[in-house]
Amino acid sequence: MEKRPHALLLKFPGTNCDAETARALKAVGFSADVLPISQVSPDRLEGVDLVVLSGGFSYGDYVMAGRLAQLVSEQRLGDALKQFRDKGGYLLGICNGFQILTRMGLLPEGSLIHNDTGRFKCNWVKLKKGSQKDSPFLRGLPDEFELPIAHAEGRFVTKDASEAEALVADGFGVLTYTEDINGSFNQIAGLQDESGRVLGLMPHPERFIWSEHHYDPDWKNENGGEHGSGYYMFQSIFEEIEEKSGLKAKA
Amino acid sequence: MSFYRHIPIAGLDGKQLQQLSSDMKLSLSQEDMEAVQAIFKDWNREPTDVELEVIAQTWSEHCKHRIFGAQIEHVKDGKSEVINSLFATYIKELSERIFARKPGFVLSAFHDNAGFITLDDNLAICLKVETHNHPSAIEPYAGANTGIGGVIRDILGAGKGAKPIASLDVFCFGAPDTKAEQLKADGVIHPLGVMRGVVRGVRDYGNRMGIPTVGGAIQFDESYIYNPLVYCGTAGVIPRQYIDKEVTAGLKIISVGGRTGRDGLHGATFSSAALDTDSHEEDIQAVQIGNPIEEKKAADFVLEARDRNLIEFVTDCGAGGYSSAAGEMLSEVGGSIYLDEVKLKEPGMVSWEIFISESQERMVLAVKEESLPELKELADIYETELTELGDSDGTGILKVLHHDETVCELDCSPLHNAPTRHLQSTFTTPEARASSSEFESKDPAADLKSLLGDFAIVSREPVIREYDHEVQGNTVLKPLAGATGDAPQDSAVMFIDGSERLMAMSQALLPEWGKYDPFAMGAACVDECFRQLVAAGANPDKIALLDNFCVGNPEDPAELGGLVECVKGMAGAAETYVAPFISGKDSFYNYFETDEGPVSIPVTALISGIGVVDDKSHVTGASIRHANSVICLIGSTGDAIGGSVYARQQGVGGVAQVPASDCETFLEQYRSYHEAVKNGWILAAHDISEGGLGVALAEMGFSGKAGLEINLGEQPVSDDASQTARLFAETPGRLLVEVAAGDVQSLLATFEGKAIAVIGRTTADHDRLQISFNGDAVIDEALNELKEIWKNGLTPYY
Repeated sequence: MEKRPHALLLKFPGTNCDAETARALKAVGFSADVLPISQVSPDRLEGVDLVVLSGGFSYGDYVMAGRLAQLVSEQRLGDALKQFRDKGGYLLGICNGFQILTRMGLLPEGSLIHNDTGRFKCNWVKLKKGSQKDSPFLRGLPDEFELPIAHAEGRFVTKDASEAEALVADGFGVLTYTEDINGSFNQIAGLQDESGRVLGLMPHPERFIWSEHHYDPDWKNENGGEHGSGYYMFQSIFEEIEEKSGLKAKA
Repeated sequence: MSFYRHIPIAGLDGKQLQQLSSDMKLSLSQEDMEAVQAIFKDWNREPTDVELEVIAQTWSEHCKHRIFGAQIEHVKDGKSEVINSLFATYIKELSERIFARKPGFVLSAFHDNAGFITLDDNLAICLKVETHNHPSAIEPYAGANTGIGGVIRDILGAGKGAKPIASLDVFCFGAPDTKAEQLKADGVIHPLGVMRGVVRGVRDYGNRMGIPTVGGAIQFDESYIYNPLVYCGTAGVIPRQYIDKEVTAGLKIISVGGRTGRDGLHGATFSSAALDTDSHEEDIQAVQIGNPIEEKKAADFVLEARDRNLIEFVTDCGAGGYSSAAGEMLSEVGGSIYLDEVKLKEPGMVSWEIFISESQERMVLAVKEESLPELKELADIYETELTELGDSDGTGILKVLHHDETVCELDCSPLHNAPTRHLQSTFTTPEARASSSEFESKDPAADLKSLLGDFAIVSREPVIREYDHEVQGNTVLKPLAGATGDAPQDSAVMFIDGSERLMAMSQALLPEWGKYDPFAMGAACVDECFRQLVAAGANPDKIALLDNFCVGNPEDPAELGGLVECVKGMAGAAETYVAPFISGKDSFYNYFETDEGPVSIPVTALISGIGVVDDKSHVTGASIRHANSVICLIGSTGDAIGGSVYARQQGVGGVAQVPASDCETFLEQYRSYHEAVKNGWILAAHDISEGGLGVALAEMGFSGKAGLEINLGEQPVSDDASQTARLFAETPGRLLVEVAAGDVQSLLATFEGKAIAVIGRTTADHDRLQISFNGDAVIDEALNELKEIWKNGLTPYY
């Protein structure tokens, strides 16, 4: 069988966006497996190109969102995810996954706390790509695009507001809301790490794969294709991995 | 200590039996208790407490629906008839006639947790709706929380396990601005507290389960202050080969999910009685505690086990707990349940408590013994607890053992038939009513604004945004959509993984109509639900319905009479639409003993439906898409404005006539409409319901794409509809559609001989709603100002 970039989705009790995220990954060409956390060990990361932590409510998120998932992951994996990244692996955290990656210290320091409205919010939002630094996950997207959000704890804060500002200025804040959605400092919606291979974002790209997903029946993407913005996010990272691993050349 | 006891009943007289039932909270009538006494006399022994509890669960109104099965002497306008079971006569037999007319459409109905209809050659879809009224009245958050949790389990326990894919939630509350001094009893929670608690309860369970809440409705009326209604529904999908299930002898009975505790004792029997002030103190034990993550793990387990073909039978633990679930599985084949195996939340529980506890998040399965190792491995993978409860044995006897003693040994065959109840009902047709011209609107623009700000009509956006309606990535037509993403839609439409076809889901309830004409309400609810599904693109030949009734005191002949009329109206409409009922539920005793006497709810029928959308190109939203389109009105407007929001605002709801539904004519129109959808002529379509044409036009315009210019004079009307009726009547059967100018002639030709007219156009010249009547301006308002009123109506309260 032809070797395709392989994605592994870690599933905690309460993770609930794994099926559609795997579907989206497969739609752009990945092979993808969902692995319950009880089965996870460092050797399961072998042969994996992209580790995905998808959305949901891991362990109910009754304490700070993502906190228990962080502890369990560290117990099961130690620093295997950090090593995975250092060896060139890619990591994507969506919504709850972003919260978990943040707690694990795989993304710049900060916290995702309750929205300033104190409410869960399911809404479509406009997003803007950061101009300071490229992200391999966002390459195929226009400077502004839309995705749905659905979270109660998506307000990104840092100890000092200036730190958030620096994150944007230094190219870590690769994704911002075009307006204030939840009280996030500097309207940060997504962050990447120093390597650029780890991305966390609150919006849900897996929910906008086809144009029919958009709330406006007359929505058209810029190239006139049938896909939604989320598709291009997954496609971007697919192409990056193919290129970096030389899979494209072989195929 | 002893974990069970024998209850001597052989020597008790009727009064003492009733006292016993009341002391044990069995909710069994004297007649029922006498029947129980006779059964045990026959067996020549006394029952154990466990056995009495099992019978009380089995015969509870909640589980057995004995009022729907009762013999009712119905007197309408002095003419008497006997109805042997409303359920058999108007729902089951009717639906079976429809099944015969549509072979292969309904794949399962009435015997499983939910009914299934065909989606395509491989997949089937189902829907189940439950009420959780009493728990939500006492503890709104936990009541609604476990309401949605319970109906999700119904879907997981439908067939060999269906995957929950969408939820709907319908609430009836007192108005959020109810004044504290209006509450006429102690301990009652203010409607605002009920609403906030209920919405959050649904949010926190549905969102954590990862099931999109895509549909719903909220009705506000003072009659719901003491008895709020909470309907929770969930739809599911299943590969068709997993629909049929059977328990045979020699299977292992296992339980998966949460542990068993004292929470939720007597929920089934509690919900079969009225509420009073003491309920808020005493019955708190009947309210369960929800833990969605426990259920999510059990759900992941069940669906994976199903796909590995490890399940012979599955059902959920709902009302009556293990006693109902095991009863359902073992009442015919027989078998044993070992209570010592049950994992408990707390020590010291006695036998009956363990057996009837309604602790949440438990699924009960019958599996082959050789499948057990793989199932245990799966339980470990998903971190859920698996318990072996017992086995099926072919004896026909349900045995329950605890501490090496048999605490229950029932031959269930005499229990299948609870004593038939005999009830009286009456209905008097209201006097012929006044014409709408007597209530002519003096300032239509002001009245339109007042309607758009009415609690019945204002945007539910603050509530909708708290629900994750996009999870699973399949929500195509969202509850709020259109170019600005915040305009109301008629149905939700979902992609179904693995199919080219889609599912539309909708619901309708019109309690205001039922106050004056329950027959008209029943028919109109069926019509509105059906029409909303068709509007969104569902094939009119592929729609199935659910009926959920909430009623006050069934022993009051007038209240029961309203229900009988409602059921008749509903059944007639469904038969005309050839839309079968595949599931339903009823909830009685929704009345409250206040200091000033009992307060009942009006008969409240919720009709929900699912329909198959044959192709994604058929999905149709309810918001204007372009300027320079043509607006057509399908269906004729009548003069009757009774039951309408306008009539209520004018204080003439009971004086004016309530509209009737001419379903035969409507169906012809819907078929033509569907042809137009398939031909791609319909840009947008909106059903005309609460608030009439005026509100429907404004709502369509809320996408902000164009202004609207409408002439009421072009509107098809019957019986001399006045200008007010043209604007605000809620005549059923009508659809407002946006069509490209080039397609209008084809559309009109398709509707040859039917009620349709071009009533206006959309324009880029302005962004106003301009309504005239043959040249005279009637309304001329900026759409964004109207939208402001509509959009912000609930925000101060939620």
